[in-house]
Amino acid sequence: MIEVHNLAKHYKIAKRDPGLRGAVKSLFYRKYETKEAVKGINLHIEASEMVGYIGANGAGKSTTIKMLTGILTPTSGEVKVNGIVPYENRKQNASHIGAVFGQRTQLFWDIPVRESYELLKHIYEIPQKQYEETLAEFVEVLHLEPLLGIPVRQLSLGQKMRCELAAAFLHRPKVVYLDEPTIGLDVAVKVRIRSFIKQMNARYGTTVLLTTHDMQDIEEICQRIIIIDDGSVIYDGSIQNIKSQFGDKRVIHFELENSDNFILPQELAHAAQVLPREEEDLHKISITFSSRDISGAELISIMMNHYTVADLTIADPKIETIVEEIYGRGMKKEVQHEEVH
Amino acid sequence: MRKYIEFARVQMQVHAAYSAWFWANTFSVLLRMLVIYFFWKAVYSNRSEIEGMSFDGMTTYIIIAMFLQMFVSGVGRELAHTIKDGNVAIELMRPYHLITRLIAMDIGDKVIYFIRGALPLGILAFVFMDVTLPSTWQSGVLFLLSALMGIWIGTFFDLLIAILAFWTINLWGLEVMKEAVVSFFSGALVPLILFPEWFQTISLFLPFQAMVYVPVAIYTGILTGTEAWLAVGSQLIWAVLLFGLLRVLWSVAMKKVTIFGG
Repeated sequence: MIEVHNLAKHYKIAKRDPGLRGAVKSLFYRKYETKEAVKGINLHIEASEMVGYIGANGAGKSTTIKMLTGILTPTSGEVKVNGIVPYENRKQNASHIGAVFGQRTQLFWDIPVRESYELLKHIYEIPQKQYEETLAEFVEVLHLEPLLGIPVRQLSLGQKMRCELAAAFLHRPKVVYLDEPTIGLDVAVKVRIRSFIKQMNARYGTTVLLTTHDMQDIEEICQRIIIIDDGSVIYDGSIQNIKSQFGDKRVIHFELENSDNFILPQELAHAAQVLPREEEDLHKISITFSSRDISGAELISIMMNHYTVADLTIADPKIETIVEEIYGRGMKKEVQHEEVH
Repeated sequence: MRKYIEFARVQMQVHAAYSAWFWANTFSVLLRMLVIYFFWKAVYSNRSEIEGMSFDGMTTYIIIAMFLQMFVSGVGRELAHTIKDGNVAIELMRPYHLITRLIAMDIGDKVIYFIRGALPLGILAFVFMDVTLPSTWQSGVLFLLSALMGIWIGTFFDLLIAILAFWTINLWGLEVMKEAVVSFFSGALVPLILFPEWFQTISLFLPFQAMVYVPVAIYTGILTGTEAWLAVGSQLIWAVLLFGLLRVLWSVAMKKVTIFGG
């Protein structure tokens, strides 16, 4: 569905000396600096796949998405979405993609939600019958009924986002780009939105490309993730795989009868660390370790020998911590880079 | 085509949503009409004509010109702000032509404004302010044709200026300057025949007089016969020229956006 080969995008940025002098100087003479936002990436996404596209701020995520939607022309490389080159046939491409940008609204500000959808029906030339069916379905799944008569500007963020999502899927697009669809939302709304996305994918085979900083979104929606850093793809594969590759870090939380004078037992000193205690829960001790050094069972039994354990929970390796670790490595690279300069 | 009609329809609906704003606007237009009327009444108090224009002719010109000017400025502001706040990117992801969409919405705006604003206030002016009908029915018809062309030219000029938002940061300055130049050169403030000869010659070669002066001059009988037809002809040339220029500038801007990323 999405085919990308050696895609690159360079921006020219005007460089300006600071202050008034610089501003005057830039009127006559400008120095340009080339920034490589995307450096030759390859993507191959099948129809009805749901892929998480993640990376730190400024890694090149939005630039890639803009090229996929046809808003940006790549500097070099090839893009094909559903067999169409987006930047050459922008309008044609537009009619079978959908998008949600968490930070911008696509609905029409002054008119009620229902009217917005009516307008979208005409914009995307959706047949009346299909429109009615789809809308009825969305209204049920996303609980939109009480919102339909309200102008968009009066909706709360969570309500608006539900409406935005319905708008993006209304014309049954083949590909949907979701850019931080759950930003700033409460857990209940997030859950509803995630289940809606999954449902759309199951029913219509919609291909979904999701960018987010919320790892819970990724873990619940996507089977596959692509991590981009500094304009290059640094990981492309299943979530399972990355967990086993990087996710050897575990955390176990212990609740002890008496934790006032807790010291890590001698036997664990080489393999594990105690995480700083949280203010509100002083009885909870969290121990982090790598499963390469010691098994969870071993650690628990050593702890039980030394202390009276009231309760314990084993935390699953979170993709979040993994990605943090990968970003961290990327960041270090950047720091070294700057030192060289 | 259907989608653009829908845009026009929705825009009319939006108008209905802001009725307080509408009444405030109507009230301010009414005030302006009164100010104009009494100002020119004072000017004419000890003479019967200026440059061959009687008092009735002058008030007719000024008030009709005032209404027309409101239709002449188009959707430039909307476009400029869409460009400035970056929402133009989202617009480009939609299967429609942004400029066509904006023009459709503008038409919706203007239809409502005509029905709710210009028509009732115009009738008021006829009844209470000595505004007269066109001298012949032919000049009435020609006025309508010429006015539509003037609105067309004004809208395109507005959009042309708005596209400059891709290159400039100071939008506000640009808007104010455009507003000033248009109201001065278009003949919306006073008939151009009151200006010196050389000024009239210059404005003959500018698109502004085609926006307001030409249609209103036809209405009031300043331009008649062959002169009137020639003026309408030059309007047509401007309309086509600006349309072409708009297309070129828009496609240049699109290239810039898609290559440099706005």
